[in-house]
Amino acid sequence: MSAGVTTQLELRGVTKRFGGVAAVDGVTFEVGKGEIVGIIGPNGAGKTTLLNCISGLHRLDGGDIRWQGASIAGMAPHRIAKLGIGRTFQIVRPFGSMTVRENAAVGALFGSAAGRRGPKEAFEMADQVLDLVGLKAKADHPVSALTIPDRKRLEVARAVATRPHLLLLDEVMAGLNNVEIDEALEMVRAVHATGVTVLLIEHVMRVIIGVCRRAVVLDFGQVLAQGEPEVVLRDERVIQAYLGERYAKRLKS
Amino acid sequence: MFLILGAILAAYALLAPLTSLDAAQSANVPLLADRLWFRIATIIAMFIVMATAWNIIGGITGYAAFGNVAFFGIGAYTTGMLIAKAKWPFLVALPFAPLVSAGFAALVGLPLLRLRGHYFAVASLGVGVAVGELVQNIDYGGQPLFGGASGLFLPIYAIDNRGLFFFYLMVAAATIAIAVTWWVLRSRFGYGLIAIRENEEAAAVLGVNTTVYKVAAFALSAALTGLAGGIFSQWNVFINQDNTFPIDYNVQMILMALLGGTGTVFGPAVGAVLLQLLIQFLGGSLPISFDIPFVSADARPILAQVILGLLLVGVVIFVPRGVIDFFGGRSRLSLSYLRRSLRETSL
Repeated sequence: MSAGVTTQLELRGVTKRFGGVAAVDGVTFEVGKGEIVGIIGPNGAGKTTLLNCISGLHRLDGGDIRWQGASIAGMAPHRIAKLGIGRTFQIVRPFGSMTVRENAAVGALFGSAAGRRGPKEAFEMADQVLDLVGLKAKADHPVSALTIPDRKRLEVARAVATRPHLLLLDEVMAGLNNVEIDEALEMVRAVHATGVTVLLIEHVMRVIIGVCRRAVVLDFGQVLAQGEPEVVLRDERVIQAYLGERYAKRLKS
Repeated sequence: MFLILGAILAAYALLAPLTSLDAAQSANVPLLADRLWFRIATIIAMFIVMATAWNIIGGITGYAAFGNVAFFGIGAYTTGMLIAKAKWPFLVALPFAPLVSAGFAALVGLPLLRLRGHYFAVASLGVGVAVGELVQNIDYGGQPLFGGASGLFLPIYAIDNRGLFFFYLMVAAATIAIAVTWWVLRSRFGYGLIAIRENEEAAAVLGVNTTVYKVAAFALSAALTGLAGGIFSQWNVFINQDNTFPIDYNVQMILMALLGGTGTVFGPAVGAVLLQLLIQFLGGSLPISFDIPFVSADARPILAQVILGLLLVGVVIFVPRGVIDFFGGRSRLSLSYLRRSLRETSL
Protein backbone atom coordinates (compact mmCIF):
# COMPACT_ATOMS: atom_id res chain seq x y z
CA MET A 1 0.00 0.00 0.00
CA SER A 2 1.32 3.39 -0.90
CA ALA A 3 2.20 5.89 1.79
CA GLY A 4 -0.31 8.50 2.91
CA VAL A 5 -3.30 6.19 2.50
CA THR A 6 -5.19 5.31 5.67
CA THR A 7 -5.80 1.62 6.24
CA GLN A 8 -9.46 0.70 6.12
CA LEU A 9 -9.51 -3.09 6.12
CA GLU A 10 -6.84 -5.16 7.74
CA LEU A 11 -6.57 -8.94 7.49
CA ARG A 12 -4.17 -10.60 9.91
CA GLY A 13 -3.53 -14.31 9.52
CA VAL A 14 -7.14 -14.98 8.53
CA THR A 15 -7.80 -18.72 8.58
CA LYS A 16 -10.89 -20.73 7.71
CA ARG A 17 -10.98 -24.53 7.73
CA PHE A 18 -13.59 -26.89 6.33
CA GLY A 19 -12.96 -30.19 8.06
CA GLY A 20 -9.22 -30.77 7.65
CA VAL A 21 -8.82 -28.46 4.69
CA ALA A 22 -7.70 -24.89 5.27
CA ALA A 23 -9.59 -23.02 2.55
CA VAL A 24 -8.06 -19.77 3.75
CA ASP A 25 -4.75 -20.18 5.53
CA GLY A 26 -3.13 -17.27 7.35
CA VAL A 27 -3.99 -14.55 4.86
CA THR A 28 -2.56 -11.14 5.73
CA PHE A 29 -2.99 -7.96 3.72
CA GLU A 30 -4.45 -4.47 4.01
CA VAL A 31 -6.78 -2.38 1.94
CA GLY A 32 -6.43 1.41 2.09
CA LYS A 33 -9.23 3.92 1.84
CA GLY A 34 -10.10 4.71 -1.76
CA GLU A 35 -8.11 1.83 -3.27
CA ILE A 36 -9.25 -0.71 -5.82
CA VAL A 37 -7.60 -4.00 -4.92
CA GLY A 38 -7.93 -7.18 -6.95
CA ILE A 39 -7.86 -10.73 -5.58
CA ILE A 40 -6.83 -13.31 -8.14
CA GLY A 41 -5.95 -16.96 -7.99
CA PRO A 42 -6.88 -20.30 -9.53
CA ASN A 43 -10.20 -22.01 -8.81
CA GLY A 44 -10.38 -23.27 -5.25
CA ALA A 45 -7.71 -20.85 -4.04
CA GLY A 46 -10.07 -19.57 -1.32
CA LYS A 47 -11.07 -16.22 -2.83
CA THR A 48 -14.81 -16.47 -2.21
CA THR A 49 -14.21 -18.05 1.20
CA LEU A 50 -12.09 -15.03 2.09
CA LEU A 51 -14.90 -12.69 1.07
CA ASN A 52 -17.36 -14.76 3.13
CA CYS A 53 -15.03 -14.33 6.11
CA ILE A 54 -14.92 -10.55 5.66
CA SER A 55 -18.70 -10.21 5.30
CA GLY A 56 -19.33 -12.43 8.31
CA LEU A 57 -20.95 -15.40 6.56
CA HIS A 58 -18.11 -17.62 7.78
CA ARG A 59 -16.71 -17.62 11.28
CA LEU A 60 -12.93 -17.40 11.41
CA ASP A 61 -10.89 -20.34 12.69
CA GLY A 62 -7.93 -18.09 13.26
CA GLY A 63 -6.58 -14.61 12.78
CA ASP A 64 -8.39 -11.31 12.91
CA ILE A 65 -10.16 -8.91 10.57
CA ARG A 66 -10.09 -5.24 11.52
CA TRP A 67 -12.26 -2.54 10.06
CA GLN A 68 -11.07 1.01 10.66
CA GLY A 69 -8.99 -0.22 13.55
CA ALA A 70 -11.61 -2.32 15.36
CA SER A 71 -12.02 -6.09 15.11
CA ILE A 72 -15.07 -7.35 13.21
CA ALA A 73 -14.23 -11.05 13.58
CA GLY A 74 -17.27 -13.01 14.80
CA MET A 75 -19.68 -10.18 14.06
CA ALA A 76 -23.04 -11.05 12.46
CA PRO A 77 -23.32 -10.30 8.70
CA HIS A 78 -25.98 -7.62 9.15
CA ARG A 79 -23.81 -5.70 11.62
CA ILE A 80 -20.84 -5.81 9.25
CA ALA A 81 -23.14 -4.56 6.49
CA LYS A 82 -24.25 -1.68 8.70
CA LEU A 83 -20.59 -0.76 9.34
CA GLY A 84 -20.35 -0.07 5.63
CA ILE A 85 -19.03 -3.27 4.06
CA GLY A 86 -21.21 -4.27 1.11
CA ARG A 87 -20.81 -7.30 -1.12
CA THR A 88 -22.10 -9.10 -4.17
CA PHE A 89 -22.36 -12.83 -4.75
CA GLN A 90 -20.62 -14.64 -7.58
CA ILE A 91 -23.75 -16.66 -8.25
CA VAL A 92 -26.32 -13.88 -8.24
CA ARG A 93 -28.92 -14.05 -5.47
CA PRO A 94 -31.70 -11.66 -6.43
CA PHE A 95 -34.95 -11.49 -4.47
CA GLY A 96 -36.94 -13.25 -7.18
CA SER A 97 -40.44 -12.08 -6.30
CA MET A 98 -39.46 -8.40 -6.22
CA THR A 99 -38.98 -5.89 -8.99
CA VAL A 100 -35.55 -4.51 -9.84
CA ARG A 101 -36.32 -1.32 -7.92
CA GLU A 102 -37.52 -3.23 -4.85
CA ASN A 103 -34.33 -5.30 -4.85
CA ALA A 104 -32.22 -2.15 -4.74
CA ALA A 105 -34.57 -0.61 -2.18
CA VAL A 106 -33.87 -3.45 0.27
CA GLY A 107 -30.22 -2.40 0.22
CA ALA A 108 -31.21 1.21 0.85
CA LEU A 109 -33.65 0.23 3.63
CA PHE A 110 -31.21 -1.83 5.65
CA GLY A 111 -27.72 -0.74 4.68
CA SER A 112 -25.18 1.44 6.38
CA ALA A 113 -26.74 4.75 5.45
CA ALA A 114 -27.49 6.55 8.68
CA GLY A 115 -30.92 6.56 10.24
CA ARG A 116 -33.94 4.46 9.59
CA ARG A 117 -35.45 5.57 6.37
CA GLY A 118 -38.88 4.57 5.23
CA PRO A 119 -39.72 2.79 1.99
CA LYS A 120 -40.34 6.09 0.17
CA GLU A 121 -36.82 7.48 0.63
CA ALA A 122 -35.39 4.02 0.01
CA PHE A 123 -37.11 3.88 -3.37
CA GLU A 124 -35.71 7.29 -4.31
CA MET A 125 -32.24 6.10 -3.39
CA ALA A 126 -32.80 2.86 -5.30
CA ASP A 127 -33.57 4.89 -8.42
CA GLN A 128 -30.32 6.85 -8.09
CA VAL A 129 -28.32 3.65 -7.74
CA LEU A 130 -30.08 1.98 -10.66
CA ASP A 131 -29.17 5.01 -12.74
CA LEU A 132 -25.53 4.59 -11.70
CA VAL A 133 -25.36 0.94 -12.78
CA GLY A 134 -27.43 1.47 -15.92
CA LEU A 135 -30.61 -0.34 -14.89
CA LYS A 136 -32.89 2.68 -14.62
CA ALA A 137 -34.94 1.75 -17.67
CA LYS A 138 -35.68 -1.67 -16.19
CA ALA A 139 -36.54 -0.52 -12.66
CA ASP A 140 -40.08 -1.89 -12.78
CA HIS A 141 -39.18 -5.19 -14.43
CA PRO A 142 -39.43 -8.40 -12.45
CA VAL A 143 -36.01 -9.90 -11.81
CA SER A 144 -36.94 -12.94 -13.89
CA ALA A 145 -36.99 -10.72 -16.99
CA LEU A 146 -33.34 -9.69 -16.57
CA THR A 147 -30.45 -11.04 -18.60
CA ILE A 148 -27.36 -12.39 -16.81
CA PRO A 149 -25.33 -9.16 -17.26
CA ASP A 150 -28.29 -7.19 -15.90
CA ARG A 151 -28.60 -9.53 -12.93
CA LYS A 152 -24.93 -8.92 -12.18
CA ARG A 153 -25.63 -5.18 -12.37
CA LEU A 154 -28.53 -5.60 -9.99
CA GLU A 155 -26.28 -7.49 -7.60
CA VAL A 156 -23.96 -4.46 -7.61
CA ALA A 157 -26.85 -1.99 -7.38
CA ARG A 158 -28.24 -3.68 -4.29
CA ALA A 159 -24.83 -3.60 -2.59
CA VAL A 160 -24.19 0.02 -3.61
CA ALA A 161 -27.62 1.00 -2.28
CA THR A 162 -26.44 0.06 1.21
CA ARG A 163 -24.06 3.04 0.89
CA PRO A 164 -20.92 1.01 1.63
CA HIS A 165 -17.51 2.44 2.38
CA LEU A 166 -16.00 -0.79 1.11
CA LEU A 167 -17.52 -2.87 -1.68
CA LEU A 168 -16.58 -6.53 -2.09
CA LEU A 169 -17.24 -7.70 -5.65
CA ASP A 170 -17.16 -11.45 -6.32
CA GLU A 171 -16.55 -12.01 -10.03
CA VAL A 172 -19.07 -9.55 -11.37
CA MET A 173 -17.49 -9.88 -14.82
CA ALA A 174 -17.55 -13.67 -15.09
CA GLY A 175 -19.57 -14.90 -18.02
CA LEU A 176 -19.76 -11.50 -19.69
CA ASN A 177 -18.58 -10.80 -23.25
CA ASN A 178 -16.03 -8.11 -24.10
CA VAL A 179 -18.53 -5.31 -24.61
CA GLU A 180 -20.32 -6.21 -21.38
CA ILE A 181 -16.99 -6.29 -19.53
CA ASP A 182 -16.25 -2.77 -20.72
CA GLU A 183 -19.64 -1.63 -19.47
CA ALA A 184 -19.09 -3.39 -16.15
CA LEU A 185 -15.64 -1.77 -15.84
CA GLU A 186 -17.28 1.61 -16.35
CA MET A 187 -19.77 0.73 -13.64
CA VAL A 188 -17.02 -0.22 -11.16
CA ARG A 189 -15.16 3.02 -11.96
CA ALA A 190 -18.36 5.02 -11.48
CA VAL A 191 -19.00 3.41 -8.09
CA HIS A 192 -15.37 3.95 -7.08
CA ALA A 193 -15.64 7.57 -8.13
CA THR A 194 -18.35 8.08 -5.51
CA GLY A 195 -15.68 7.43 -2.87
CA VAL A 196 -16.10 3.70 -2.33
CA THR A 197 -13.12 1.44 -1.69
CA VAL A 198 -13.32 -1.68 -3.85
CA LEU A 199 -11.98 -5.17 -3.22
CA LEU A 200 -12.76 -7.40 -6.19
CA ILE A 201 -12.27 -11.02 -7.13
CA GLU A 202 -11.74 -11.44 -10.83
CA HIS A 203 -10.50 -14.00 -13.31
CA VAL A 204 -10.52 -11.60 -16.24
CA MET A 205 -6.97 -10.21 -16.18
CA ARG A 206 -7.96 -7.28 -18.35
CA VAL A 207 -10.16 -6.12 -15.47
CA ILE A 208 -7.41 -6.50 -12.89
CA ILE A 209 -4.92 -4.58 -15.02
CA GLY A 210 -7.59 -2.08 -16.07
CA VAL A 211 -8.83 -0.89 -12.69
CA CYS A 212 -6.64 -2.24 -9.88
CA ARG A 213 -3.56 -0.52 -8.59
CA ARG A 214 -2.78 -3.54 -6.47
CA ALA A 215 -3.47 -7.25 -6.74
CA VAL A 216 -3.28 -10.03 -4.17
CA VAL A 217 -2.70 -13.54 -5.52
CA LEU A 218 -4.12 -16.45 -3.52
CA ASP A 219 -3.17 -20.07 -4.00
CA PHE A 220 -4.19 -22.95 -1.73
CA GLY A 221 -5.57 -20.40 0.70
CA GLN A 222 -2.32 -18.49 1.09
CA VAL A 223 -1.06 -15.20 -0.27
CA LEU A 224 1.31 -16.13 -3.08
CA ALA A 225 2.23 -12.60 -4.13
CA GLN A 226 0.92 -9.07 -3.97
CA GLY A 227 1.76 -5.79 -5.60
CA GLU A 228 1.19 -3.94 -8.84
CA PRO A 229 -0.88 -6.12 -11.20
CA GLU A 230 1.62 -6.00 -14.08
CA VAL A 231 4.44 -7.08 -11.80
CA VAL A 232 2.46 -9.73 -9.99
CA LEU A 233 1.20 -11.32 -13.20
CA ARG A 234 4.80 -11.73 -14.45
CA ASP A 235 5.77 -13.47 -11.21
CA GLU A 236 6.84 -16.99 -12.05
CA ARG A 237 5.07 -18.54 -9.06
CA VAL A 238 1.85 -16.90 -10.12
CA ILE A 239 2.14 -18.21 -13.67
CA GLN A 240 2.90 -21.64 -12.25
CA ALA A 241 -0.11 -21.57 -9.96
CA TYR A 242 -2.39 -20.54 -12.78
CA LEU A 243 -1.04 -22.46 -15.74
CA GLY A 244 0.98 -25.27 -14.21
CA GLU A 245 4.68 -26.00 -13.96
CA ARG A 246 5.21 -27.17 -17.52
CA TYR A 247 3.74 -24.04 -19.03
CA ALA A 248 5.87 -21.89 -16.73
CA LYS A 249 9.02 -23.70 -17.89
CA ARG A 250 8.04 -23.26 -21.51
CA LEU A 251 7.58 -19.54 -20.97
CA LYS A 252 11.08 -19.32 -19.54
CA SER A 253 12.81 -21.17 -22.33
CA MET B 1 -57.26 -1.49 -5.60
CA PHE B 2 -59.94 -3.57 -7.33
CA LEU B 3 -58.88 -6.37 -5.12
CA ILE B 4 -59.57 -4.40 -1.96
CA LEU B 5 -62.90 -3.14 -3.27
CA GLY B 6 -63.85 -6.65 -4.35
CA ALA B 7 -62.97 -8.06 -0.97
CA ILE B 8 -65.00 -5.42 0.84
CA LEU B 9 -67.97 -6.08 -1.42
CA ALA B 10 -67.63 -9.82 -0.98
CA ALA B 11 -67.38 -9.41 2.78
CA TYR B 12 -70.47 -7.22 2.78
CA ALA B 13 -72.45 -9.62 0.62
CA LEU B 14 -71.48 -12.43 2.94
CA LEU B 15 -72.10 -10.64 6.19
CA ALA B 16 -75.06 -8.41 5.44
CA PRO B 17 -77.74 -11.06 5.98
CA LEU B 18 -75.99 -12.26 9.11
CA THR B 19 -75.81 -8.95 10.90
CA SER B 20 -79.58 -8.63 10.77
CA LEU B 21 -80.14 -11.93 12.46
CA ASP B 22 -82.59 -10.66 14.99
CA ALA B 23 -84.67 -9.11 12.24
CA ALA B 24 -84.50 -12.37 10.36
CA GLN B 25 -85.48 -14.37 13.42
CA SER B 26 -88.44 -12.23 14.21
CA ALA B 27 -89.51 -12.44 10.59
CA ASN B 28 -89.12 -16.21 10.85
CA VAL B 29 -86.86 -16.60 7.84
CA PRO B 30 -86.04 -20.26 8.31
CA LEU B 31 -82.45 -20.31 7.03
CA LEU B 32 -81.18 -17.27 8.90
CA ALA B 33 -83.07 -18.09 12.04
CA ASP B 34 -80.81 -21.07 12.35
CA ARG B 35 -78.17 -20.44 15.01
CA LEU B 36 -75.88 -22.75 13.10
CA TRP B 37 -75.15 -20.12 10.50
CA PHE B 38 -73.70 -17.94 13.18
CA ARG B 39 -71.51 -20.66 14.43
CA ILE B 40 -70.22 -21.37 10.93
CA ALA B 41 -69.63 -17.68 10.18
CA THR B 42 -67.70 -17.32 13.45
CA ILE B 43 -65.64 -20.39 12.65
CA ILE B 44 -64.89 -18.98 9.21
CA ALA B 45 -63.72 -15.71 10.77
CA MET B 46 -61.59 -17.72 13.20
CA PHE B 47 -59.89 -19.49 10.33
CA ILE B 48 -59.39 -16.18 8.50
CA VAL B 49 -57.39 -15.10 11.54
CA MET B 50 -55.37 -18.32 11.66
CA ALA B 51 -54.65 -18.52 7.92
CA THR B 52 -53.77 -14.82 7.72
CA ALA B 53 -51.53 -15.17 10.76
CA TRP B 54 -49.83 -18.26 9.32
CA ASN B 55 -49.19 -16.28 6.14
CA ILE B 56 -46.92 -13.88 8.06
CA ILE B 57 -44.41 -16.58 8.99
CA GLY B 58 -45.19 -19.16 6.28
CA GLY B 59 -46.06 -16.98 3.31
CA ILE B 60 -44.21 -13.71 3.75
CA THR B 61 -41.13 -14.97 5.62
CA GLY B 62 -41.09 -18.36 3.90
CA TYR B 63 -40.75 -20.51 7.01
CA ALA B 64 -43.21 -23.40 6.75
CA ALA B 65 -44.52 -23.46 10.32
CA PHE B 66 -46.49 -26.65 10.93
CA GLY B 67 -47.16 -26.08 14.60
CA ASN B 68 -49.10 -22.82 14.70
CA VAL B 69 -52.01 -24.60 16.36
CA ALA B 70 -49.88 -24.52 19.51
CA PHE B 71 -50.40 -20.74 19.64
CA PHE B 72 -54.15 -21.17 19.21
CA GLY B 73 -54.18 -23.57 22.13
CA ILE B 74 -51.91 -21.44 24.28
CA GLY B 75 -54.14 -18.41 23.62
CA ALA B 76 -57.23 -20.43 24.49
CA TYR B 77 -55.73 -21.82 27.69
CA THR B 78 -54.30 -18.45 28.76
CA THR B 79 -57.67 -16.75 28.57
CA GLY B 80 -59.42 -19.88 29.84
CA MET B 81 -57.23 -20.20 32.92
CA LEU B 82 -57.45 -16.50 33.74
CA ILE B 83 -61.25 -16.64 33.56
CA ALA B 84 -61.89 -20.05 35.13
CA LYS B 85 -59.20 -20.12 37.81
CA ALA B 86 -58.25 -16.48 38.44
CA LYS B 87 -61.86 -15.28 37.93
CA TRP B 88 -60.78 -12.43 35.65
CA PRO B 89 -63.38 -10.81 33.42
CA PHE B 90 -63.19 -12.01 29.82
CA LEU B 91 -62.20 -8.71 28.21
CA VAL B 92 -59.35 -8.26 30.71
CA ALA B 93 -58.14 -11.82 30.21
CA LEU B 94 -58.33 -11.71 26.40
CA PRO B 95 -55.29 -9.43 25.74
CA PHE B 96 -53.09 -11.92 27.58
CA ALA B 97 -53.82 -14.59 24.96
CA PRO B 98 -51.80 -12.87 22.18
CA LEU B 99 -49.14 -11.77 24.68
CA VAL B 100 -48.45 -15.22 26.10
CA SER B 101 -48.60 -16.85 22.65
CA ALA B 102 -46.14 -14.31 21.22
CA GLY B 103 -43.82 -14.73 24.18
CA PHE B 104 -43.84 -18.49 23.76
CA ALA B 105 -43.21 -18.14 20.01
CA ALA B 106 -40.23 -15.86 20.65
CA LEU B 107 -38.84 -18.39 23.12
CA VAL B 108 -39.12 -21.45 20.87
CA GLY B 109 -38.45 -19.36 17.75
CA LEU B 110 -34.92 -18.43 18.77
CA PRO B 111 -33.63 -22.01 18.49
CA LEU B 112 -36.18 -23.29 15.92
CA LEU B 113 -35.75 -20.51 13.37
CA ARG B 114 -32.08 -21.39 13.02
CA LEU B 115 -33.33 -24.44 11.14
CA ARG B 116 -34.23 -24.18 7.50
CA GLY B 117 -36.60 -25.87 5.10
CA HIS B 118 -37.86 -29.30 6.08
CA TYR B 119 -36.03 -29.20 9.38
CA PHE B 120 -37.96 -26.19 10.59
CA ALA B 121 -41.25 -27.67 9.34
CA VAL B 122 -40.69 -30.92 11.24
CA ALA B 123 -39.42 -29.22 14.40
CA SER B 124 -42.35 -26.80 14.50
CA LEU B 125 -44.76 -29.71 14.04
CA GLY B 126 -43.13 -31.34 17.04
CA VAL B 127 -43.69 -28.22 19.13
CA GLY B 128 -47.33 -28.09 18.03
CA VAL B 129 -47.96 -31.63 19.22
CA ALA B 130 -45.82 -31.38 22.37
CA VAL B 131 -47.53 -28.27 23.75
CA GLY B 132 -50.97 -29.90 23.53
CA GLU B 133 -49.72 -32.97 25.38
CA LEU B 134 -48.01 -30.86 28.03
CA VAL B 135 -51.12 -28.79 28.67
CA GLN B 136 -53.18 -31.92 29.20
CA ASN B 137 -50.65 -33.76 31.35
CA ILE B 138 -48.94 -31.23 33.60
CA ASP B 139 -49.84 -31.85 37.22
CA TYR B 140 -49.30 -29.54 40.17
CA GLY B 141 -49.68 -30.81 43.71
CA GLY B 142 -51.38 -33.99 42.47
CA GLN B 143 -53.98 -32.02 40.49
CA PRO B 144 -53.92 -31.43 36.76
CA LEU B 145 -52.81 -27.82 36.39
CA PHE B 146 -54.83 -27.02 33.27
CA GLY B 147 -57.88 -29.21 33.84
CA GLY B 148 -56.17 -32.31 32.46
CA ALA B 149 -58.02 -34.78 30.28
CA SER B 150 -61.42 -33.57 31.43
CA GLY B 151 -60.74 -30.11 30.04
CA LEU B 152 -61.57 -26.69 31.39
CA PHE B 153 -65.03 -25.21 31.84
CA LEU B 154 -65.47 -21.45 31.69
CA PRO B 155 -68.39 -19.52 33.15
CA ILE B 156 -70.75 -18.42 30.38
CA TYR B 157 -70.15 -14.83 29.36
CA ALA B 158 -73.28 -12.92 30.28
CA ILE B 159 -74.24 -10.73 27.37
CA ASP B 160 -77.32 -10.36 25.18
CA ASN B 161 -76.97 -11.89 21.76
CA ARG B 162 -73.94 -13.91 22.68
CA GLY B 163 -73.68 -15.47 19.21
CA LEU B 164 -73.68 -12.08 17.56
CA PHE B 165 -71.15 -10.71 20.07
CA PHE B 166 -68.59 -13.46 19.48
CA PHE B 167 -69.17 -13.29 15.75
CA TYR B 168 -68.33 -9.59 15.78
CA LEU B 169 -65.34 -10.19 18.02
CA MET B 170 -63.95 -12.85 15.68
CA VAL B 171 -64.58 -10.61 12.65
CA ALA B 172 -62.71 -7.83 14.46
CA ALA B 173 -59.79 -10.20 15.04
CA ALA B 174 -59.86 -11.15 11.35
CA THR B 175 -59.85 -7.47 10.40
CA ILE B 176 -56.88 -6.85 12.68
CA ALA B 177 -55.01 -9.80 11.14
CA ILE B 178 -55.63 -8.55 7.60
CA ALA B 179 -54.75 -4.95 8.53
CA VAL B 180 -51.51 -6.11 10.17
CA THR B 181 -50.60 -8.05 7.02
CA TRP B 182 -51.41 -5.01 4.86
CA TRP B 183 -49.12 -2.88 7.03
CA VAL B 184 -46.34 -5.49 7.08
CA LEU B 185 -46.25 -5.73 3.29
CA ARG B 186 -45.77 -1.97 2.97
CA SER B 187 -43.22 -1.55 5.74
CA ARG B 188 -39.47 -1.85 6.12
CA PHE B 189 -40.20 -4.89 8.28
CA GLY B 190 -42.06 -6.59 5.42
CA TYR B 191 -39.32 -5.94 2.87
CA GLY B 192 -36.89 -7.52 5.30
CA LEU B 193 -39.12 -10.58 5.70
CA ILE B 194 -39.57 -11.04 1.95
CA ALA B 195 -35.81 -10.64 1.46
CA ILE B 196 -35.30 -13.42 4.03
CA ARG B 197 -37.77 -15.63 2.16
CA GLU B 198 -36.09 -15.02 -1.19
CA ASN B 199 -32.50 -15.39 -0.02
CA GLU B 200 -31.54 -15.29 3.63
CA GLU B 201 -27.78 -14.77 3.18
CA ALA B 202 -28.30 -12.00 0.64
CA ALA B 203 -30.69 -10.33 3.09
CA ALA B 204 -28.12 -10.60 5.88
CA VAL B 205 -25.26 -9.01 3.93
CA LEU B 206 -27.57 -6.15 2.97
CA GLY B 207 -28.07 -5.43 6.66
CA VAL B 208 -31.23 -7.34 7.59
CA ASN B 209 -31.00 -8.68 11.15
CA THR B 210 -32.40 -12.03 10.08
CA THR B 211 -32.68 -13.57 13.55
CA VAL B 212 -34.66 -10.68 15.01
CA TYR B 213 -36.87 -10.39 11.92
CA LYS B 214 -37.71 -14.07 11.80
CA VAL B 215 -38.48 -14.25 15.51
CA ALA B 216 -40.60 -11.09 15.26
CA ALA B 217 -42.57 -12.53 12.34
CA PHE B 218 -43.10 -15.78 14.25
CA ALA B 219 -44.21 -13.91 17.38
CA LEU B 220 -46.58 -11.69 15.37
CA SER B 221 -48.09 -14.75 13.72
CA ALA B 222 -48.43 -16.39 17.14
CA ALA B 223 -50.03 -13.30 18.69
CA LEU B 224 -52.82 -13.20 16.10
CA THR B 225 -53.36 -16.96 16.31
CA GLY B 226 -53.43 -16.70 20.10
CA LEU B 227 -56.02 -13.94 19.92
CA ALA B 228 -58.31 -16.25 17.95
CA GLY B 229 -57.71 -18.94 20.57
CA GLY B 230 -58.55 -16.54 23.40
CA ILE B 231 -61.86 -15.58 21.81
CA PHE B 232 -62.60 -19.23 21.07
CA SER B 233 -62.18 -20.29 24.69
CA GLN B 234 -64.87 -17.93 26.02
CA TRP B 235 -67.11 -18.46 23.00
CA ASN B 236 -66.99 -22.24 23.28
CA VAL B 237 -67.09 -22.19 27.14
CA PHE B 238 -65.35 -25.57 27.24
CA ILE B 239 -61.77 -26.18 26.15
CA ASN B 240 -59.65 -29.33 26.08
CA GLN B 241 -56.74 -30.72 24.13
CA ASP B 242 -58.97 -31.92 21.31
CA ASN B 243 -60.65 -28.63 20.53
CA THR B 244 -57.73 -26.26 21.09
CA PHE B 245 -54.76 -28.27 19.78
CA PRO B 246 -56.25 -30.17 16.82
CA ILE B 247 -53.52 -31.17 14.39
CA ASP B 248 -55.99 -30.77 11.47
CA TYR B 249 -55.97 -27.02 12.08
CA ASN B 250 -52.28 -26.95 11.15
CA VAL B 251 -52.99 -28.49 7.79
CA GLN B 252 -56.12 -26.45 7.25
CA MET B 253 -54.59 -23.03 7.90
CA ILE B 254 -51.68 -23.80 5.57
CA LEU B 255 -53.99 -25.15 2.89
CA MET B 256 -56.18 -22.04 3.18
CA ALA B 257 -53.19 -19.74 2.72
CA LEU B 258 -51.94 -21.80 -0.22
CA LEU B 259 -55.37 -22.00 -1.81
CA GLY B 260 -55.94 -18.27 -1.55
CA GLY B 261 -52.40 -17.18 -2.26
CA THR B 262 -49.43 -17.01 0.12
CA GLY B 263 -47.67 -13.72 0.70
CA THR B 264 -50.76 -11.69 -0.25
CA VAL B 265 -53.01 -9.59 1.99
CA PHE B 266 -56.37 -11.18 1.20
CA GLY B 267 -55.35 -14.56 -0.19
CA PRO B 268 -55.44 -16.50 3.09
CA ALA B 269 -58.82 -14.95 3.98
CA VAL B 270 -60.29 -15.95 0.61
CA GLY B 271 -58.85 -19.42 1.07
CA ALA B 272 -60.27 -19.65 4.59
CA VAL B 273 -63.79 -18.80 3.42
CA LEU B 274 -63.68 -21.23 0.48
CA LEU B 275 -62.12 -24.09 2.36
CA GLN B 276 -64.12 -23.75 5.56
CA LEU B 277 -67.37 -23.68 3.59
CA LEU B 278 -66.21 -26.81 1.80
CA ILE B 279 -65.26 -28.52 5.06
CA GLN B 280 -68.61 -27.68 6.65
CA PHE B 281 -70.45 -28.72 3.48
CA LEU B 282 -68.68 -32.08 3.24
CA GLY B 283 -69.03 -32.63 6.95
CA GLY B 284 -72.77 -32.15 6.61
CA SER B 285 -72.86 -29.20 9.02
CA LEU B 286 -74.33 -26.76 6.55
CA PRO B 287 -78.10 -26.30 6.78
CA ILE B 288 -78.17 -27.05 3.07
CA SER B 289 -78.61 -30.75 3.41
CA PHE B 290 -77.85 -33.24 0.67
CA ASP B 291 -76.86 -36.84 0.24
CA ILE B 292 -73.56 -38.00 -1.14
CA PRO B 293 -74.01 -41.28 -3.00
CA PHE B 294 -72.23 -44.33 -1.54
CA VAL B 295 -71.21 -42.39 1.57
CA SER B 296 -72.98 -42.91 4.85
CA ALA B 297 -73.51 -39.94 7.16
CA ASP B 298 -70.93 -41.31 9.62
CA ALA B 299 -68.23 -41.49 6.99
CA ARG B 300 -68.67 -37.94 5.80
CA PRO B 301 -66.01 -36.35 8.05
CA ILE B 302 -63.56 -38.97 6.75
CA LEU B 303 -64.55 -38.14 3.19
CA ALA B 304 -63.91 -34.49 4.01
CA GLN B 305 -60.37 -35.38 5.12
CA VAL B 306 -59.73 -37.32 1.93
CA ILE B 307 -60.98 -34.47 -0.23
CA LEU B 308 -58.87 -31.97 1.74
CA GLY B 309 -55.79 -34.09 1.15
CA LEU B 310 -56.47 -34.30 -2.57
CA LEU B 311 -57.15 -30.58 -2.67
CA LEU B 312 -53.83 -29.86 -0.95
CA VAL B 313 -51.97 -31.88 -3.58
CA GLY B 314 -53.90 -30.27 -6.41
CA VAL B 315 -53.42 -26.72 -5.13
CA VAL B 316 -49.70 -27.12 -4.54
CA ILE B 317 -49.18 -28.53 -8.03
CA PHE B 318 -51.60 -26.50 -10.13
CA VAL B 319 -52.35 -23.25 -8.31
CA PRO B 320 -49.12 -22.48 -6.47
CA ARG B 321 -49.84 -18.76 -6.40
CA GLY B 322 -53.37 -19.26 -5.06
CA VAL B 323 -56.78 -18.36 -6.43
CA ILE B 324 -56.26 -14.67 -5.61
CA ASP B 325 -53.97 -14.67 -8.64
CA PHE B 326 -57.10 -14.85 -10.80
CA PHE B 327 -58.62 -11.69 -9.35
CA GLY B 328 -57.59 -8.29 -10.63
CA GLY B 329 -56.88 -9.73 -14.07
CA ARG B 330 -53.37 -10.90 -13.28
CA SER B 331 -54.02 -14.41 -14.53
CA ARG B 332 -56.90 -16.32 -16.03
CA LEU B 333 -57.81 -19.85 -15.06
CA SER B 334 -57.18 -21.92 -18.15
CA LEU B 335 -55.58 -25.16 -19.21
CA SER B 336 -52.40 -23.35 -20.21
CA TYR B 337 -52.23 -21.70 -16.76
CA LEU B 338 -52.43 -25.11 -15.10
CA ARG B 339 -49.80 -26.49 -17.47
CA ARG B 340 -47.47 -23.57 -16.79
CA SER B 341 -47.92 -24.03 -13.03
CA LEU B 342 -47.20 -27.72 -13.36
CA ARG B 343 -43.93 -26.88 -15.12
CA GLU B 344 -43.00 -24.37 -12.42
CA THR B 345 -43.73 -26.66 -9.51
CA SER B 346 -42.11 -29.80 -10.90
CA LEU B 347 -38.38 -30.39 -11.02
